[in-house]
Amino acid sequence: MSDQIALHTEALTKHYGEVKALVDLDLDVRPGEVFGFLGPNGAGKTTMIRTVMDEIRPTSGHARILGMDCHDQSVEIRRHIGYLPSDLSLYPNLTGKDTLTYFANLRGGVDWSYVDVLAERLGAELGKKVGDLSSGNRQKVGVIQAFMNRPQLLIMDEPSNGLDPLVQREFQAMMREIVAEGASVFLSSHTLSEVQRVADRVGIIRHGHLIARESVASLRSKGMRSVELELASIPNPDVFRSIDGVRDVTAENHRVQLSYEGKMAELLRKVAEHYDVVDISTQEADLEEIFLAYYHDERNGAAAQTASR
Amino acid sequence: MMLLATVFSKTVLDRWRGVTIGVVSLAALLYFGMVVYQDIDLSIYTSLPPAFESLIGIGENADVASLAYNAIYSSYGAIILAGIAIAMGSAFIAGEERKGTIGVLLGNPRSRTQVLLAKTAAMIVMMGLGGLVLWGVGLATPAALDVSIEGMDVTAFTLHLVVGTLFYGFLALAIGSWTGKTGVASGVSAGVLAVSFFAVGILPIIEGGEDWARVFPWYYFAGSDPLMNGVNWGHLAILGAASLALFLVAFVGVNRRDLRSKSTGVSLLDTLRANPITARVTEKLAGGARVSRIWVKAASEHQGLLFVVSGLMFFVMGVLMGPIYSVIEDAVVEFGVGFPEELLALFGGGDLSTPEGYFQIESFGLVTPIALMVVTITMGAKALAGEEENRTMGILLANPVRRSAVVTEKLAAMVLYGVTVGIVVFAGTSAGNWISSLGMSYANIAATAALATLIGLLFGALALLVGAVTGRTRFAIFIPVGAALFFHTMNALASLTDAWWGRLSPFYYYLGSDPLNNGMAWGDAAILLGVTALLVALAYPAFNQRDLRQTG
Repeated sequence: MSDQIALHTEALTKHYGEVKALVDLDLDVRPGEVFGFLGPNGAGKTTMIRTVMDEIRPTSGHARILGMDCHDQSVEIRRHIGYLPSDLSLYPNLTGKDTLTYFANLRGGVDWSYVDVLAERLGAELGKKVGDLSSGNRQKVGVIQAFMNRPQLLIMDEPSNGLDPLVQREFQAMMREIVAEGASVFLSSHTLSEVQRVADRVGIIRHGHLIARESVASLRSKGMRSVELELASIPNPDVFRSIDGVRDVTAENHRVQLSYEGKMAELLRKVAEHYDVVDISTQEADLEEIFLAYYHDERNGAAAQTASR
Repeated sequence: MMLLATVFSKTVLDRWRGVTIGVVSLAALLYFGMVVYQDIDLSIYTSLPPAFESLIGIGENADVASLAYNAIYSSYGAIILAGIAIAMGSAFIAGEERKGTIGVLLGNPRSRTQVLLAKTAAMIVMMGLGGLVLWGVGLATPAALDVSIEGMDVTAFTLHLVVGTLFYGFLALAIGSWTGKTGVASGVSAGVLAVSFFAVGILPIIEGGEDWARVFPWYYFAGSDPLMNGVNWGHLAILGAASLALFLVAFVGVNRRDLRSKSTGVSLLDTLRANPITARVTEKLAGGARVSRIWVKAASEHQGLLFVVSGLMFFVMGVLMGPIYSVIEDAVVEFGVGFPEELLALFGGGDLSTPEGYFQIESFGLVTPIALMVVTITMGAKALAGEEENRTMGILLANPVRRSAVVTEKLAAMVLYGVTVGIVVFAGTSAGNWISSLGMSYANIAATAALATLIGLLFGALALLVGAVTGRTRFAIFIPVGAALFFHTMNALASLTDAWWGRLSPFYYYLGSDPLNNGMAWGDAAILLGVTALLVALAYPAFNQRDLRQTG
């Protein structure tokens, strides 16, 4: 069972009338990995998740979870997965404990000692009515219900919403732990730093199209660096923009900040043709910059066809 | 000024549909009513004892137009308009608090008073426009049908109608602004509406009761018979002053207190669970139990509604009705009038001089089916559409349960409660029967209560179906309520002329066989059950095949 592809979609497409919310989406989530699903708001992340959860039905294409068809075998699938929807709503008049009991009963029981461990780690208040909890504390109840049946696949839509940074860390650790045990996590997010920290691979979605699908490591190995230069004279940013591999140039007084993909010697040689370099600092670009780079390419290239909606 | 105009227009935009639906259906009913009344012999009405006018809302100079105005506008119309006003009044401040939106609204640079004023203005304008349409239709319909309205003051009548029903909107606004609780605001206002409607109907029949009727707001709407006697400025002034006083209460109420953030009420159960002495027992009995199954949870969510409706039906419409009948029985016998059955058709038909007829008019004709439908339509509508609008359906269905299982369990909760109310109606009516020794057959009471339960379940099933198809509670409530209103009137009007099309109405199969006198009509029961089963059967595929809605 454990070497089964956790989540597999094939040309998954969902149209709402004229609006193409999801277009020919192909992706795989492998056993034992956290797959980060990145994209700006409205890109189609939630539509994709709701489709594989059988809340909505695809216009064409299909999806399988743990080898089972997402529509025909949806009830069986749900025995083996945990799900945390976006903008979680729960029953306001039930306490956290009631809520978990309700879902546990629908599942035919859970291991309550594990629930206690989860509640302890997240610092969840289970005795209060959900309607009286802050959104972060409500989210903890949602996280617990997603984890509590020890799922083989966890599907979570913007799970860190409302969680404070300390709890987020604990939650990320919990994800890494179940992945280490062979489960998989499908994590939709627009928080790049979170995905960077926990994901093994990422897919980037934009206007319903999957525009990139790579391992976090290989994204990094593209060699993109963020570079900050201090120059003897006030620079003209256009000079830098004309250099191959340079993007996202900002200039302020004697300083220039840019992202660069290529050989550092090449960059320095080109810069030295125009300016005296006083100081240089450089670091590995984070996913945010890489993501923005993809976003730029996609916008500059395919923008004409997709942006017209 | 901008925001004020915005609050005003947003309120109008939120509310115009409800007002339009209400007014248009009333206009259609008026037309329908006048057409039918034209076809029947009205001479029977002239022989009526005046004491009964107030009870059945029909004036002494009975003719086509006044009968139709009174039957449609004064009863249905007033209740619908008052209901719309109560919905607005309770939603304005308390509704925004419950939804948690009042903080954002008041985050704009406008005071609570200004928001209250803008919303109140919207309520008055909407009700006024509704009244204007009813006035226009009230004049156009008789003209189109060539019915005489000589001597009738439609303008005065609709003016009384609007002012009389706006009062309940102000009542709800005052209670909502003071407490911040929509449930209390709409519940109390609807209670006052119901009590005053019946009190003004019943009190004048009892010796010396006329004066007591003046205590109730309904008296100042209908008591002066504005259709015949024109505007009674004194009565309107009293309603206006009372409304203004309620507005001032709302004004003080909303300004003086802490606004509630989006929050939950505290029930008896919560109190017991919080108390360390009772906590363990309560937890065992109720805490875990109510979330054991989907149907148990669905049932527990509506227990408040069940208690209120059951209590009302048992004591007021059941136990108390016996002694009340004993009091007015003398009046009935004294007049010694054999009532034409047709006359009372709108109220479910029946002969007032027998306890069966009395119970049929007062309880089984209108109130019992309404009580049942309040429970079944609410539960049917909330069953699927409610979870979708509260956005909990996604997480519920993340568990290994079929969509059809959700339908089945929610349906089970609705049937359970419908049957419970039916049993309570039987028990209450039987108790009233026993206390006052009215001599009605218990088997027949049981049969009537059973048929009432079936008609309640039928419209509850319609609500479930509409919810399954649309995922919207609004539709799942409006459509069955509109259908019930339409079919009830259709059956009542058809029974006047014994027209064949009355049989198209489900209500024909409820009281058409006169079960209080004749006992169970198994064929009718089978038809009601069959239609209910069909509606339910359609709900399954509708819900199974549909994309769930994401937001409410």
